Amino acid sequence: MTNRQIESIDVIVFIVAGILVILLMFGFILYFLISYKSKKRDYNLLEIQKKELDDQKKLLENTLSELRATQSQLIHSEKMASLGQLTAGIAHEIQNPLNFVNNFSDVSKELLTEMREDIKKNNIEDALELASDVVNNLDKIYFHGKKAESIVKGMLQHSRAAKGLLEKADINLLCDESIRLAYHGMKSKFMDFNVEITTIFAQNIPKIYIIPQDIGRVILNILSNAFYATIQKSKKISSDYKPNVTIKTLYDSSGVNVYIRDNGCGIPQEIKDKIFQPFFTTKISGQGTGLGLSICYDIINSHGGRISFESKEREFTEFNIFLPNKSNLVVKIPNNVV
Amino acid sequence: MFSKIEIAFKWIGILLIVTFLNELNTRFLVKSLSIQSNGVYHFFVPIEFSIYTIIFATFINLKRWNKILILLVFLLVIIEILNTLFLQPIYVTNTNTMIIESVFLVLLSLILYIRIKESTYYKNLLLEGVFWFNSSILFYYAFNILVWGFHNWDFINPPLIMYDINAFLCGLMYLTFLFSIYLNFIQVRKLKN
Repeated sequence: MTNRQIESIDVIVFIVAGILVILLMFGFILYFLISYKSKKRDYNLLEIQKKELDDQKKLLENTLSELRATQSQLIHSEKMASLGQLTAGIAHEIQNPLNFVNNFSDVSKELLTEMREDIKKNNIEDALELASDVVNNLDKIYFHGKKAESIVKGMLQHSRAAKGLLEKADINLLCDESIRLAYHGMKSKFMDFNVEITTIFAQNIPKIYIIPQDIGRVILNILSNAFYATIQKSKKISSDYKPNVTIKTLYDSSGVNVYIRDNGCGIPQEIKDKIFQPFFTTKISGQGTGLGLSICYDIINSHGGRISFESKEREFTEFNIFLPNKSNLVVKIPNNVV
Repeated sequence: MFSKIEIAFKWIGILLIVTFLNELNTRFLVKSLSIQSNGVYHFFVPIEFSIYTIIFATFINLKRWNKILILLVFLLVIIEILNTLFLQPIYVTNTNTMIIESVFLVLLSLILYIRIKESTYYKNLLLEGVFWFNSSILFYYAFNILVWGFHNWDFINPPLIMYDINAFLCGLMYLTFLFSIYLNFIQVRKLKN
């Protein structure tokens, strides 16, 4: 082959290789452009979806804050309802000492009028006798006045917000007060309400550290539920049903147990695991917020205690509250209680 | 205009100026002093590659890649020295180093493509200076490997047309560089407005 022929072959080889390289590069760049565009499209789609998700997140956050506001409003309503119940009980409680105060004041007034007459007639012996009667009456007025004062104090304790102040308190006394308050509260709502209340209080219970107004609220709430259950049952079955609520306290070295048992309608099996859930209620609309037992659960938990129950539908329900006897107890007040 | 473009494009501008000055120098050596210009490229190639690495480092924008790029520059300088000492002395065109530089640049170009694809930052690639710059690098230096490879393989009587094509593509690449600078200028102005 001549040099010229070799040269022309070289040129052909070079041109073919050059075209191949150029095509390869073009192909690559074109492929890159297409794949970038496709990726960008996917990315834009993702961006749109992300924006939608962000919008939904914002919407959910708004809904959540609205729900929280509603929840706090409901908690407030529950507190107001419980306060209403208390007020009804307290009004009845306070009425008795006030009646005594009024009656003894009237009697004392009459006695003093008589005494003035006797003094005028110089009948000193009778006057002195009347004076001692007046003193007795004033003692009784003072006693009933004090009783009314203690009831008012109790009411103030119930109504004020819990600040986590632990006090040594007598559980039996707290139960006794709660029974009376719950009973009169229920009586003011249901005029024909009647129930036999049995109390079995252990006498060896020492005063334990609790927040009395909170534990009082728990006992009051459970008792009110117990009374309500007996009312519901008496509406359903014949007249030979005798409503009964038993409240029993027991003490051992670890703490105090309070048992509240009613022979009301019981708790159906299917809702047993829901009764401590917030906003769960079997009461008709407007009669309950569904927060009562949830708050009770939180309060007892914050005291380091336990709340549990046993129930058989149409037969009985028994709640057990256990409160530990700890002097170094630190109570963490749950948000919904305050 | 120069102050209103991104830093990487400023370096592209510097590269264009350096290349232009180098070409003026070689013409001066050949035409006025009648000295062979081959020796100039023994110095120009490492300098050119160093500027390219700065441009790529700015575009790739990854710390670990900075180290790799510095290493590549050192590697190319060592190769150039060894090539000059043992294979292609100062009066011969340093095609071996040019081939290796081209391979490095093609690899860097591919890596920059990957980075562009990862980022999904650019709305329309055809309006981006970086895309045109990178494409022209890939295109020209891939062809450069072929040209200098062919030159080395067929050293005695290489086809002259390949030098003409190479010169044409080289000119095209520099024009594309200018175009990419212009595109970046437009982009920056748009962003500022």
